Amino acid sequence: MKKEREIRISEEVAQAIEAHLSELSAASVDEYVEAVLRERLRRDGHLPAYSPEEEREVARRLRDLGYLD
Amino acid sequence: MTKLALIGLDCADPVLLRELLPGLPTLRELAAGGSLARLRSVDPPITIPAWMCMMTGKDPGELGVYGFRNRKDHGYDKLGVASSASFREPAVWDLLGERGLRSILIGVPGTYPPKPVKGLLVSCFLAPSTEVAYTYPASLREKVTHFAGEYLLDARDFRTEDKARLVEEVVVMTKRRFALARGLASSEPWDLFAMVEIGLDRLHHALWAHHDPQHPHHDPASQFRDALRQYYQLLDQEIAALLCDLPGKTQVLVVSDHGVQSLEGGIALNEWLIRKGYLVLKADPAKPGTRLDDLVGQDLVDWSRTLAWGEGGYYGRVLLNVAGREPEGAIPSSEYETVRKKLARELAAIPDEEGCSIGTRVLFPEEIYREVRGIAPDLLVYFGDLRFRSIGTVGWGRIHLRENDTGPDDANHAPYGILLAYPGLGSGDRSILEVKDMILQHFDGEAS
Repeated sequence: MKKEREIRISEEVAQAIEAHLSELSAASVDEYVEAVLRERLRRDGHLPAYSPEEEREVARRLRDLGYLD
Repeated sequence: MTKLALIGLDCADPVLLRELLPGLPTLRELAAGGSLARLRSVDPPITIPAWMCMMTGKDPGELGVYGFRNRKDHGYDKLGVASSASFREPAVWDLLGERGLRSILIGVPGTYPPKPVKGLLVSCFLAPSTEVAYTYPASLREKVTHFAGEYLLDARDFRTEDKARLVEEVVVMTKRRFALARGLASSEPWDLFAMVEIGLDRLHHALWAHHDPQHPHHDPASQFRDALRQYYQLLDQEIAALLCDLPGKTQVLVVSDHGVQSLEGGIALNEWLIRKGYLVLKADPAKPGTRLDDLVGQDLVDWSRTLAWGEGGYYGRVLLNVAGREPEGAIPSSEYETVRKKLARELAAIPDEEGCSIGTRVLFPEEIYREVRGIAPDLLVYFGDLRFRSIGTVGWGRIHLRENDTGPDDANHAPYGILLAYPGLGSGDRSILEVKDMILQHFDGEAS
């Protein structure tokens, strides 16, 4: 289970998300906010797509598949 | 508004598909009532970046993504695995989302980690596992389990002589992915449905020698001689079942990112560079099959005397060690083009064991891409026009390898994939870079 912490967003933003959950394809405000923030942080290079262990494992798998040598 | 369903079959080959079509009633009917054309892939014709080139309409240079791993900077050991974050250009589903249209996306290579989309996204085999957040929204994973049970991102332990186990696993994976596809397509709203089945690529690589009588290792008595044909039949049945769950008049595209051809052997790229004096090691490799990455990590490459090194895989990438660019660059920048062209000529001339030409092609990024972003390799090398792998490991004591250094593999990629369309879109060759606009035009036509 990943550690979590609570953050606060304005009622206005929370209501806007809640009102459009179906359109945003999200089940909850928390889920949508987490996904948007992850994408934004990755795009700016502040959050890696893979942990070092994950990247080693994916690279190993890609070598196994023949894509890398 | 009529919908568009894109069914991706990684590595589906136009020649093989036409050969097998009589035994594939669904695809045969689609082709007969629609169109079947060759779809020219990008260079390199590799899963990453090819699928995202298709979905963005941008070539690898424009995307700055040249393969599964790309240089993060000009250091000697700074390669990163490509992820969805590597692709900055909007994909076709992003553009449709801006118009209010919803997409269901399953297994499109280059979509991990999942970005928010207007619709649903199950990412690809580049997800480390199904334990991580591999879907958007994250809660979609519960529906994935509902429809597919234990979802398989990819075949495990691909490099194996246990073909029976591999075939069985790929079949299970494919059935589950199509079960998921049917479940989502029939229960969720969408305008664009796009899925990619990776199993075909895996079985081409694993079974090509069993299928192709021209392959050097072909055994006519192999118990797996018909396994590829049977897998195509399974795909045909699964596509038939999926089509039954799609609304009438849905525009259907069955596409692939590249084709397949026989793999005849490998050329030990770095071994050759060592012999020619382009790559200088401080000590001989301890054993055959030593990875250059490991030697770099152990500081066993003499960069002060190294002009070039290479990366292996289905194609070769050659990187030059340029003064002022790489940390210990040895080629004066004024001599870069001279060295690069000489090296390209010599690589193209590497013969087979008997001294005969193998038809190697060497590509210059700035000549094949509309733009060169990120850090491109200085040269792309297709040994034997991709009939030979690029062997990146060293310590072999020879240039030509008929065996594979990473385990059994019978096939390499070919530049043409398939574009099967129903209703038809014409039978002339098309480019993978046109598919995004074909999709947009479908919805443009619907809107007008």
